Amino acid sequence: MQPRGKEQANFPGRPTSPFLAAPQSSTPFRSPGPVGGIEASGPSRATTPFVTSGPMTGLGASGSPQNMSPFLSSGPAIGTQPSSYRAPPPSMRSNGPSSPPTSSFSAQDASTYQQSQALGFPPAPMHPPPIGQPHMPPSGTFRPQSQIPVVPMGPPPQSSSQLTSRSNMPPSSGSVFSAPRTPPQPLLQGYSNVPQRANVPPFQPDSQFQASRPVSQPLMQVYPAAHVPPTHTSQYHAHQSLVPPPPPVGGPMGFSSREQLQHPLTGPPIGGVQGLIEEFQSLTVGSVPGALDPGVDTKSLPRPLNGAEEPTKILEVYPFNCHPRFMCLTTHAIPNSQSLLSRWHLPLGAVVHPLAEAPDGEEVPIVNFGPAGIIRCRRCRTYVNPYVTFTDAGRKWRCNLCSLLNDVPGEYYCALDATGRRCDLDQRPELSKGSVEFVASTEYMVRPPMPPLYFFLIDVSVSAVCSGLLEIVAKTIKSCLDDLPGFPRTQIGFITFDSTLHFHNLKSSLTQPQMLVVADLDDVFLPLPDDLLVNLSDSRHVVDAFLDSLPVMFQGTSNVESAFGPALKAAFMVMSQLGGKLLIFQSTLPSLGVGRLRLRGDDLRMYGTDKEHTLRLPEDPFYKQMAAEFTKNQIAVDIYAFSEKYSDIASLGSLAKYTGGQVYHYPSFQTAVHQEKLRYELARNLTRETAWEAVMRIRCGKGVRFTTYHGHFMLRSTDLLALPAVDCDKAFAMQLSLEETLMTTQTVYFQVALLYTSSSGERRIRVHTAAAPVVADLSEMYRQADTGAIVSLLGRLAIENSLSQKLEDARQSLQLKLVKSLKEYRNLYVVQHRLGGRLIFPESLKFLPLYVLSLCKSVALRGGYADALLDERCAAGYNMMILPISGMLKLIYPDLFRIDENLLKDFKDGQEPLRQLPLSAQSLDPKGVYVLDDGFNFIIWLGRMLSSDLLNNIVGVELASFPDLSRVVLCQHDNEISKRLMRILKELRARDPSSYQSCRLVRQGEQPRELSLFLTNLVEDQTAGSSGYVDWILQVFRQSQGS
Amino acid sequence: MAWELLLWLLAFAAVIALIGLSAYQLICLSDLEFDYINPYDSSSRINAVVIPEFLVQGILCILFLLTWHWFPFLIMAPITYYHIKLYMKGKHLIDVTEIFRLLNGEKKYRVIKLAFYCSIFIVVIYRLVTTSVLLLIEEDDQALESGIF
Repeated sequence: MQPRGKEQANFPGRPTSPFLAAPQSSTPFRSPGPVGGIEASGPSRATTPFVTSGPMTGLGASGSPQNMSPFLSSGPAIGTQPSSYRAPPPSMRSNGPSSPPTSSFSAQDASTYQQSQALGFPPAPMHPPPIGQPHMPPSGTFRPQSQIPVVPMGPPPQSSSQLTSRSNMPPSSGSVFSAPRTPPQPLLQGYSNVPQRANVPPFQPDSQFQASRPVSQPLMQVYPAAHVPPTHTSQYHAHQSLVPPPPPVGGPMGFSSREQLQHPLTGPPIGGVQGLIEEFQSLTVGSVPGALDPGVDTKSLPRPLNGAEEPTKILEVYPFNCHPRFMCLTTHAIPNSQSLLSRWHLPLGAVVHPLAEAPDGEEVPIVNFGPAGIIRCRRCRTYVNPYVTFTDAGRKWRCNLCSLLNDVPGEYYCALDATGRRCDLDQRPELSKGSVEFVASTEYMVRPPMPPLYFFLIDVSVSAVCSGLLEIVAKTIKSCLDDLPGFPRTQIGFITFDSTLHFHNLKSSLTQPQMLVVADLDDVFLPLPDDLLVNLSDSRHVVDAFLDSLPVMFQGTSNVESAFGPALKAAFMVMSQLGGKLLIFQSTLPSLGVGRLRLRGDDLRMYGTDKEHTLRLPEDPFYKQMAAEFTKNQIAVDIYAFSEKYSDIASLGSLAKYTGGQVYHYPSFQTAVHQEKLRYELARNLTRETAWEAVMRIRCGKGVRFTTYHGHFMLRSTDLLALPAVDCDKAFAMQLSLEETLMTTQTVYFQVALLYTSSSGERRIRVHTAAAPVVADLSEMYRQADTGAIVSLLGRLAIENSLSQKLEDARQSLQLKLVKSLKEYRNLYVVQHRLGGRLIFPESLKFLPLYVLSLCKSVALRGGYADALLDERCAAGYNMMILPISGMLKLIYPDLFRIDENLLKDFKDGQEPLRQLPLSAQSLDPKGVYVLDDGFNFIIWLGRMLSSDLLNNIVGVELASFPDLSRVVLCQHDNEISKRLMRILKELRARDPSSYQSCRLVRQGEQPRELSLFLTNLVEDQTAGSSGYVDWILQVFRQSQGS
Repeated sequence: MAWELLLWLLAFAAVIALIGLSAYQLICLSDLEFDYINPYDSSSRINAVVIPEFLVQGILCILFLLTWHWFPFLIMAPITYYHIKLYMKGKHLIDVTEIFRLLNGEKKYRVIKLAFYCSIFIVVIYRLVTTSVLLLIEEDDQALESGIF
């Protein structure tokens, strides 16, 4: 198993490029088989080991026919050498995988390895070539011999035929492919031995080469070695046999075999060699056949209750890919044709999270090229990455995206070792890691790197003051001043507004801030040319004084108006020179000046009509225009909206949508309930590492193209995302399309490049590189699918649909995609298996039906008029557009835990891990206490029959005397239970630092709060107008069965 | 008869202007597509000529109606209606934030419009020529007559 896994893993990596790169060299190797290899790669050394490997001869004989044949023909050598020779091919395979990019990994290594390591080849990518060297002398002697045979070597038919017969026997066809494929690469690189080739009969190289190629492809594409000239085919067969424990080759094959191994039980064992291909298919079939008689056991339905698992298995196959947390494809297998793509009804694309927080020890390495400049492809501007190949003794490198041969700059030159790897590979993270960060030189700047800039636009009308919001905001900002990134360059400024605009002069020479009031809303002007935006470290005392006095300043106000539009313009004027981050605190509907919004409200009559979606669109084009201007000037807008009543989040949110910002919504803000959440989220926003004035581009190999992008950004050209500010809490999704009707490459590479200014004022480029195989097989696409990425992308598409269609239509199209994909999957297998009465779905997508159901029931998409307030719906929509995968899954399928056990028992050493429960009313026990955690809120559900003792301890007061739980604030009381509860909540909060869950209590049977807060989150239950999980599955099943 | 000629001359100029404006918008869009221009410039350039185009087109259409030229009027009427509808909905201007998503649609819309304008252009040229020729012949006749008599 071990070796296999490895082999597969590496294969994909090396695939095409090396191949292309050194075709000519490959031929020598092939034809003379062992000979070429040997001499080419300091080969002589290799030979000795082979000799030693004498014992293996038996195997060898049966094995590498191609190699053998030469020997046979070359009579003299046969006795001893055959064994040695055969050896090389397998070894190469084993090596090959480990170091894909360094295709040049040479024969010498291979041979040595093969012997010693045989199957247990360790995963370590870099293998020390030294082993080979000691053997040098003998090899030298050997070489002459080997060369001699070469000449006659043209494949002697009779010998090969013999071999073939034998070779056919081995059961695993996969081996066949793998073997041929690897050899060419390792030997190829740079070693091409011209004289040798000359020896080779002219026809041979071609034929060999050809042969090898078809071989590698056939696995995936069902046409096997038809192209191969007969003589050679025989060789191949032999070859297969050689590789007895052979792992399947080629991306897809490899996977399938793995699958097979992992789920040995799933596939009905189809015996025999002849059924090989069928076996692969049947495997997938069996993966999860959900038997669905009506009245199914609901417990058997798949549920994601084991926490989110990261799809890291791709890293095993492609060790040089960036971690999936940075970039995750919806299916890690790119279809090779339009017709195949049209059968894949789910979105094909990726979710990119460029600044995802990495756990300690896995930080993205920073690389500084210094004067050499960053190494990029001349044509497609791809950054150097682990998948590029170096040739010509290290003087050239071949771009893996466009296969252009580039010069290696003198400063970056490094000799290649005997295997064709660069000697300094280990010291260069950009050549060994999928994610790196380059320090950019001045060429990457249009202006000097901007300082971190925070500008606050604060509503000080009566509702903001009365709710206590102003005080919390002022205090939080003040507490964060020390932690703002980028000290001492950080800039800060404030504007407050109600029916007038108040500018604040924070000049460092002042002792107290000055307030300047501008009442002219039609023609906004700045009362001061500068000093509205000041350096924080210079004016720190003034800023402190301002923030201290802010809540007091407007204490007695009775102003209910809000001149939001003019204030926005004023803020723009102040910030336009530098850019930065604009934080807006808005607690009423904008009512004065440009950009005032109507109370268009949530009109029941609009729902179900064609105009329904207009409610969710910005009403006034002013906001979109402002957003465009903001982005142009590198300003990101974050909106904090607090209004109790309707405040048109749809319009306000568009400011954040096109500037890479975020919408924070605190409906009907109450100090007691929300202050912790606001404090935490504001503090995180201010102190998290932020990338300023960023642009992001995703390049991909020939044949594919990213067409649509989904998230908060603005497109500056067809494929360039402008992100005035971006941070670790924002992810982007995009969809792929194929440009060619038939893809000829075997691997597609993707490279995400984010160019940004760090808070420290350095220009950086973060680069994530990933490779994915091209497949010809739909079942392979299903096997490699990633539910998280698919759900994330589907969710974003559905949100966007809801902006141009009815909610009902958006949900319908979600369901349609699900049904179509399952139907297509069913059609793959329904013929050869009796599947009547069963819903089949691939193992990789077993949670998809549930997640799509939850998506339909999420706040943004659920029901109609009565099911969610318009503002909350829009805010949820904006939120889902930026959430990374894990956050998205948690939001739509929240975690539900029962905690009363944990509250009562005292666990001294660590808590017993909480067990996640299905989101269904059946999980609820009236005697229990449950916590529902969707990543943004905790809802604590108290059972009706809960002991009053426990209840009182949790709530802290006699419940009988305080019936209104909506006003109860959960805080730590002086008893063990309350402390334990707080500890549990703290642990849950620590799981995801990106947001803070505010806590609400609900008692069973407390209507209507229980319904709106808690029961709507139980997505597996049937609610008015939507089906439960079982019904849903049956419905999907029925539809997927219909023709 | 001279006023007729004047009308067609005017229409000729107007249609040329319309074709020019449409082509200009199309060029801006395709420049944007190939990244020669940024979306802000592109959309502001396009938006600057949208209203003039609507005005010219509307005036021309009304002119045809008032002069009872039914055929060219009927060709123009649908476009005028569409323009008015767009304007009433406030969707006549290009939205810079969504420009890339709408790019293909916008291009198609302008290509179709351009085709319309071209067909009108042919009609106008034809009528212009016939009118002027008729006018000339008439004058010649008159000259002849006056010469004779």
